[in-house]
Amino acid sequence: MSEVTVDPKAAKLRRDYPYTARLLCCRADPTGHYVVAGATDSTVQRWDVLTGERVPLVGHENWVRSVAFSPDGRLLYSGGYDGRMLCWDMLSGAVSPLRTVTAHRGWLRCLAVSTDGAWVASCGNDRLVKIWSAADGSLVREFSGHVDLPYSLQFVPGAGELVSGDIRGNVLHWRVADGEVLRSFDAGGMFSHVGDIAPFGGAIGLSFSPDRGRVTVSGLHRVSNAPAGNRRGVAMSFDWVTGEKLPLQECRQKELDATMWRAVYHPGGLMIGVLEKEIGFWHPGAEDVFHLLTTPDHIFDCDLHPSGTDLFTAHFDGHLRCWQLQG
Amino acid sequence: MSGFRYQPCGTIDHGIARRQFMGEFLTGGAVMAGTSLFSHPVGAGELVSRGRSMVVVYLNGGISQFESWDPKRDVETGGPFREISTTVPGVQISELLPRTAQQMHHMALIRSISTDLDDHGLANNLVRSGRTTRSATEYPELGAVVARGLERADFPLPGHITTMVGGAGGRANNAAYLGPSYASVGVGAEQGGIVNAQLPDGMTVAVDSRRHDWRRFVNSRHRSRVQSAEMDAYAQSYEQALRLMEKRDLFDISRESVAVQEAYGKSEFGRQLLLARRLVEQEVPFIEVQHAGWDFHHNNFEFHLHYVADFDGPFACFLGDLAERGLLERTLVIVMTEFGRTPGINAGYGRDHYPKAWSMAAAGCGIQHGAVIGATDAKGVEVTERKVDHRHLFHTWLRAVGIDSGGQFEIGGRKFPIADPAFGPIEELLS
Repeated sequence: MSEVTVDPKAAKLRRDYPYTARLLCCRADPTGHYVVAGATDSTVQRWDVLTGERVPLVGHENWVRSVAFSPDGRLLYSGGYDGRMLCWDMLSGAVSPLRTVTAHRGWLRCLAVSTDGAWVASCGNDRLVKIWSAADGSLVREFSGHVDLPYSLQFVPGAGELVSGDIRGNVLHWRVADGEVLRSFDAGGMFSHVGDIAPFGGAIGLSFSPDRGRVTVSGLHRVSNAPAGNRRGVAMSFDWVTGEKLPLQECRQKELDATMWRAVYHPGGLMIGVLEKEIGFWHPGAEDVFHLLTTPDHIFDCDLHPSGTDLFTAHFDGHLRCWQLQG
Repeated sequence: MSGFRYQPCGTIDHGIARRQFMGEFLTGGAVMAGTSLFSHPVGAGELVSRGRSMVVVYLNGGISQFESWDPKRDVETGGPFREISTTVPGVQISELLPRTAQQMHHMALIRSISTDLDDHGLANNLVRSGRTTRSATEYPELGAVVARGLERADFPLPGHITTMVGGAGGRANNAAYLGPSYASVGVGAEQGGIVNAQLPDGMTVAVDSRRHDWRRFVNSRHRSRVQSAEMDAYAQSYEQALRLMEKRDLFDISRESVAVQEAYGKSEFGRQLLLARRLVEQEVPFIEVQHAGWDFHHNNFEFHLHYVADFDGPFACFLGDLAERGLLERTLVIVMTEFGRTPGINAGYGRDHYPKAWSMAAAGCGIQHGAVIGATDAKGVEVTERKVDHRHLFHTWLRAVGIDSGGQFEIGGRKFPIADPAFGPIEELLS
């Protein structure tokens, strides 16, 4: 991704990609040609970024919760509440899956692809983290260190390592080669519960800063009434070298009942996080947003276009929206 | 336990009115004026079915019918959970209830409940009283009616018990004109039995006995001059408290085998259900077990994933245990809630209150096992078959345990229909 200058205060809607079912996740193709989203009608929707042409990818049998591209953009992986991971050939444009893997017992919640494209990681309601061969879909390794539901995954850039976060805010740093837990990060402040029965919150999203200096956990905190949705979106970062917990990043200028479903880093260092209908922008390390961009509907995921000039957001109203971050 | 329970949506649970009296230990502080409970015989319409019990498992806040008894597949209202088969061919319930599905041959489902109140407190009162109250008249709740209807003069325990964390024998105010003797007594499944049921340090049995002899003497002397139902209820409360103290071991679930305790699980709900089974064995007429917090306006699916799992294992164990011990033949178990949840999924992936089309489940005596009453449309928006409401259900529950719901209570010279006389039971649900 080239380092482009962005001006969030001048950001505006570049394009609206409408669909009819609620969207749960989205990713931009590393080549910049496509953007895809997972929907609650069990489909993956693929749009041509330039023409807006939409093609449904049908194969899942439940909500599609996670999508991830291979680094070269040739393969797309999708994971759903049917517990399956489907692999799609983006070059051929085929609308049927290249490969289907029954990955987890219960929901599959997150997918991530290693930076060299060799591995695909998945996690699910069976509390397992699994490493799959990207080449043939075979199971490489299975990690069972999470005591509660794992929610999020991210490969450590340039290393054979992985971080995974769970609903209780435990983030584990794994060495993929042998499954050893190298260390853990405590984001328990982002965990709440209902009546000692249902956990709430946790490490919902994971991302690395461009310099790999910090790993950022996005989610929620300050829960006053979980079943009513009273909570605040937040990002909790840790110094990647020392493990030190860094100051929380949230929206302090406006009270928002929100979960920060994902935070992404722009190559220039800005952190961009979604907060319900708002897109928040933070200067590197800043505790409060310097700008909020209001969108038409609730956002459940976001991703940067590889050019760095645009941000895609996946919305509850079924629309995928593209936000031009430059004036 | 706090006497107040706020629902996440901000309304105050009906429990306030009922529980504000609980600080008083069986003192009968909530005696209703104007009744003469002990001065009149049992009403002519009351039919006594000795040995029968009713257990209400109350899912406070409103469980989603979609994520429990009436799942919908492949529609935008359905959510991410799938249906699974049960032990009754053709009957499917949510995949979140795998163990309950294995007990379906003891159960029946009512999928066509339609009421018109979406406020927790009001709807709670609706399903508990079987009445649509738009006047000043208060009606006794189901537990009070059952306690009265199945009453035995020599019964050593309260006829209407609610299990609750930290329950120490306090009375609620839910018996209306039937009087406080039929109001619920809150007890907990505590280690060592019911709390505060032992004599204080330094108090011997002999001294305590002399205290009660003195109280009875003074009561008797006073009663020779003045008689009232309130005083009778007050005095009776003391005697019942003493009987509870004698029976305190009954409330100690640690007296069950380790295997049984493990089968019910370590959750609070499992412990309360195990206590309920012990109370059923003692032929307590009415027991309510509460499982609170189902008001998921936000994050409905994640919360149901955990909440239904917390319900499923212990509940299925409870039904299986009752069946194995032969107790289910004389016990009606109802899974009750105050309304359903909206077909529409809101932007927080929650479901809001929906009284228009929802479900309950029941098991045990007096009902057709495997029956499914009514239906909703493909999206779960409307009732399409056999619409029923709280009044039909109230009649049905009473009839299932052998109480003539068409009868009347006679209180203080006034006659009170046991259930809404304009309605009747769901006959096809009754066995």
